[in-house]
Amino acid sequence: MAENTAPQQQGPAPSGPRPQGGPGGRPGGPAKRGKRSFVRKKKVCRFCVDKVDFIDYKKAEILAPFIQERGKILPRRMTGTCARHQRWLTVAIKRAQNIALLPFAAEL
Amino acid sequence: MEERQYDLIFICRPDTPEADIDKIIATLEHAATEKGDKIEKTEKWGRKRMAYRVHKLREGFYVYMTVRATHGEVVKELERRLKVSDPVIKYLTVRVDEDLKRQQKLKRHRERRAARRPRKTAPPAAAAPTAPAAGGEPTAASV
Repeated sequence: MAENTAPQQQGPAPSGPRPQGGPGGRPGGPAKRGKRSFVRKKKVCRFCVDKVDFIDYKKAEILAPFIQERGKILPRRMTGTCARHQRWLTVAIKRAQNIALLPFAAEL
Repeated sequence: MEERQYDLIFICRPDTPEADIDKIIATLEHAATEKGDKIEKTEKWGRKRMAYRVHKLREGFYVYMTVRATHGEVVKELERRLKVSDPVIKYLTVRVDEDLKRQQKLKRHRERRAARRPRKTAPPAAAAPTAPAAGGEPTAASV
């Protein structure tokens, strides 16, 4: 019912269901105040944005941004990857490591 | 029986002559066909820098192939052959049919959802400008 009543109220201006909402969804505040402001940008899963259904372990250049310089896999809280894609990603990275496409650890 | 698909990658020493690599590929293909399975695709990626040293080598000649098999036996045989052949320094076999199946399923799901979405959003958008007072509601409710 809620869906039906909404367009009636807006009658003359049939825009989208949610016209409000700031750009980028940032929680207020001026963004120009230097780097030190604690406005946290919402991280989005890159694989969800690209609608990836399968993470290929053969493409090392895709996986490379998700490992640290020392070779560790970056946690979700750092990259913003969603749980499902992180699960696939770890498997892909580990496979790539096994065939020497990605390092296990940085060489000294 | 159900069919399985594998990715098989092996790395040869960078100083191996191309003819020897072709010979290895030929023997693998022969071994696969002997077991009644098939190597579908063979790609030579060429000399690539490896992410870490293997047998004190920094580079390797990568060869990638996909194997279609009815059972896992063939993998054992292929890996055995790779293990005994001298120029091969590293190999990896990965079963991929389940991943591919999942990928196709998700893709189908996504397409179906994409096909459904315009139908769902179109009626209210079409109904709102023509009849915002009375006609809009019944059509929206029927959808």
